[in-house]
Amino acid sequence: MVSLAQSEDTLALFTEGIAGRYIHIKSTEEFVNHRRLAYRPDQTGQSSDAIYLPEHINAPDHNGYRVLVMEQLGLRECQTFSFRMRTALARVDTLKAHYSEPATGTARSGDFHLLFGSFTHPNLAADLFTLLEKARVQAYLLRTYPGLKRHLQNYHNHLLSTESPDIDPLSWGHRYLWGEANIPQQWSLLSCALQNLEASSTDVYDSVSELCTLYSLIESAYVFTETDPYPQQQESLPDWLNREQRVEEWEEDLEQLDERLMAVDMLAAEDVEAQRGDSGDAAIREAELDIKSLADERDTLKRRIDMERASVQHALGTNRANARSFRYDEWDYQQRRYLNRWCRVYEEPLTGSDDYDTTELRDAIKHFQPLVQRQLEQIRPTGLQRVSRVQDGDELDLNAIIEARQDIRAGHSPNEQFYSRKERMQRDVCAVFLIDLSASTDDPIEPPEPFDWDTYQKNNNDNLRDPFDSEFEESPVDETPKRKIIDIQREAMVVMASALDALGDSYGVYGFSGYGKDNVEIYTAKDPHEAFSQRTLQAIASMTPKRSTRMGPAIRHATHKLTQSGHAMKVLIVISDGFPQDSDYGPERGNHNYGVEDTAKSLQEAQQKGVETFCVTVDRSGPDYLQRMCPNERYLVIEDMADLPDQLSKVYTALTTG
Amino acid sequence: MSQSVNFFTADKEPYYLPLADEVEIFRAAYSARLPILLKGPTGCGKTRFVEHMTWRLYQETANSLEVPLITVSCHEDLTATDLVGRYLLKGDSTIWTDGPLTRAVRTGAVCYLDEVVEARKDTTVLIHSLTDHRRVLPIDKTGELLHAHPEFLLVLSYNPGYQSVLKDLKPSTRQRFVSLEFDYPSVEAEAAIIAHEAGLENTDAERLAVIGERVRNLKQHGFEEGVSTRLLIYAANLMTAGIAARRAADVAIVTAISDDRIVQNAVADIVDVILP
Repeated sequence: MVSLAQSEDTLALFTEGIAGRYIHIKSTEEFVNHRRLAYRPDQTGQSSDAIYLPEHINAPDHNGYRVLVMEQLGLRECQTFSFRMRTALARVDTLKAHYSEPATGTARSGDFHLLFGSFTHPNLAADLFTLLEKARVQAYLLRTYPGLKRHLQNYHNHLLSTESPDIDPLSWGHRYLWGEANIPQQWSLLSCALQNLEASSTDVYDSVSELCTLYSLIESAYVFTETDPYPQQQESLPDWLNREQRVEEWEEDLEQLDERLMAVDMLAAEDVEAQRGDSGDAAIREAELDIKSLADERDTLKRRIDMERASVQHALGTNRANARSFRYDEWDYQQRRYLNRWCRVYEEPLTGSDDYDTTELRDAIKHFQPLVQRQLEQIRPTGLQRVSRVQDGDELDLNAIIEARQDIRAGHSPNEQFYSRKERMQRDVCAVFLIDLSASTDDPIEPPEPFDWDTYQKNNNDNLRDPFDSEFEESPVDETPKRKIIDIQREAMVVMASALDALGDSYGVYGFSGYGKDNVEIYTAKDPHEAFSQRTLQAIASMTPKRSTRMGPAIRHATHKLTQSGHAMKVLIVISDGFPQDSDYGPERGNHNYGVEDTAKSLQEAQQKGVETFCVTVDRSGPDYLQRMCPNERYLVIEDMADLPDQLSKVYTALTTG
Repeated sequence: MSQSVNFFTADKEPYYLPLADEVEIFRAAYSARLPILLKGPTGCGKTRFVEHMTWRLYQETANSLEVPLITVSCHEDLTATDLVGRYLLKGDSTIWTDGPLTRAVRTGAVCYLDEVVEARKDTTVLIHSLTDHRRVLPIDKTGELLHAHPEFLLVLSYNPGYQSVLKDLKPSTRQRFVSLEFDYPSVEAEAAIIAHEAGLENTDAERLAVIGERVRNLKQHGFEEGVSTRLLIYAANLMTAGIAARRAADVAIVTAISDDRIVQNAVADIVDVILP
């Protein structure tokens, strides 16, 4: 047995290379836990953004996993999921005998659902079809990726020697594909069909054709009873994938319809122009009718697309094609051990857009810049320095030249280091800011602060002079929106970002949240190698409160990113508004010990990897758990939220110059 | 001396397979003496393109220039002095020696500054005065204002991908050039290039090209640069020299592009399934 955890990182990169886009490599168990789709943990499968592999497989080595991945990618490359019932009916004559328009079918019925529904036992038909496609894909893979042959044979030989043959024809079919030489005579038709599908000219409809031919033979091998039916599967994954692909096709249709509609519209307008005053009413009405029917058709299609997209998303889960994912261990303090590859972290870029108003953030930068700048100036590098007496440089070093001349006159060989050059004194720091985006950051801060920075002082003064005045003046309902924790976090981040940019240190800004161990989310506002730009501002502006606070995996991921950055000094600053918590963070909900212990462990790990860590919180009850959580008392509780930018720059200065 | 200068005197046409209209553009730009900026990833053929074009141009003009192309590979310690020239101690005297750029300006050669963003910022001053209508090179140290030879052409190359944004070219510099974008060729074209350069059989060359295509999919996530055409040609060279395909790919591709063990394993796995 080999397990997925040992090779999944390499496997994910391998898959990305072959497929040309990132695909999550997940354990089938993650699928079984969360989806209503019937799925067995020993199976391999895929959704549009992921490939599911069994956590453990019976294989001689890890190349077995590579074979499984290639089989899944092969299905994509061989266009299995672009199967369309209409084309099948046109191309496969034998299918017509089986197929009858289902009474309950709608335009949204899945094509695979229709296909398999044409047979008495749809799931048997589905399994047979899978087998046939496997034969086709396997032959394709061997043609396109000749190096796979060794691993495929190796894996299959292992399977042949370890798995004992079953009596049913499908398992014999699989054994045939593994290279079994002695297929029982009665299934020779099946092995013939499998062999036929190996030709390079075959496509998915050839498999359908073989399915129609073979179905009755295969079915006759099974005895079905009421109590022992063929294993039922409510919905199948391929069907949903097929439907997802169909949505894309529909969208192309929609675009075409839109274009046609526009063309007809313009034509009609021209006609109206041309026939004004003329007696062309009939023609105009005809054109209008044309437009109306086209528009109707378009609306129906649009509605259908929306509905289908919603159901696909419901079935397959949120599409995370933009994210990359990683698995991390978690520390179980009660058992005193790591839970292997326990949490899945999705790293997703925050794109930001023009919709987000950044003026508030710009004002904050303006307001805090001088203060923060003063702090950070203490660590500003000294810039260019002239280094004398070097082998090579842009200027001659006069002193050295004179000495060299003297040496030459005296008959000695001179020192050759008689140049001077300018050298830049560089800091080599990479900092990562990890911002808590839990739902609680949506809470207003107390006391509410004035919105506008320019009037900040003034209002304060007014209040000092006559504290009751303003209360009486104000209407009973406070209409100015209360400032929230998230607002201050965002402001502190942009202020730090612009200041650090001036300093020249590389830094990253990430938000984190999520829900449950398989859904820890990291949102990238800025990667260390990116420059600070309008896009960064927008990305930070688009940081919004989400769900829980599973800190451990977020810190582990940030540490991973820092160690990969290759900088000499690595700093991780976590900004949060409370203790770590998540739905399944520990055995009992509401008990935060587990989360605190895991976070403490992750901070320790970071320190061991040479990352300087620091936690900043706005939670006044922070010291209770921060003391336990942060090594060497590296934490800070901020009393007044408005101090955050200032305090943050102090912390940063202390951490990077210490 | 800190820079490495290649003096180019080829009697045989350097091989270059045009992918778009770059040859015509270069020719037109040269006839108007417009400076040229080549953008593109490492090892995609920028330098070869310049060599090829210089060879063609000088073949046509029958110019008897001894050194028609002067290439300077820029690095982060390369200063204006290195390009312009410096005083050297020679015996009893201190004498002025022209740098590669000055030499090209005097003789009317093509000066090619490879990976120019790597160089120190003070080099841009030289580039600016040479690339507008003035076409002059001021030499502070000797007080000379050198007017460029009518045949002189400046060609720059840089790689916008892996260098940090801090090292990007300034717009004021970038806007003095005709910019040609380069990228890795398609699988077919790359296979043809590999086959020609290493004298490798077509199917093997094509497999190497497919490896290049797939490994480049990992660019930026696993490592900074995809595998270059140059590396693929190295692998092909090793194969023609009798090294087994897998071993050749291993030493020329897998270990060459990254030090990260996970990335190396993934690339090795990709190579492994594509090679027979």
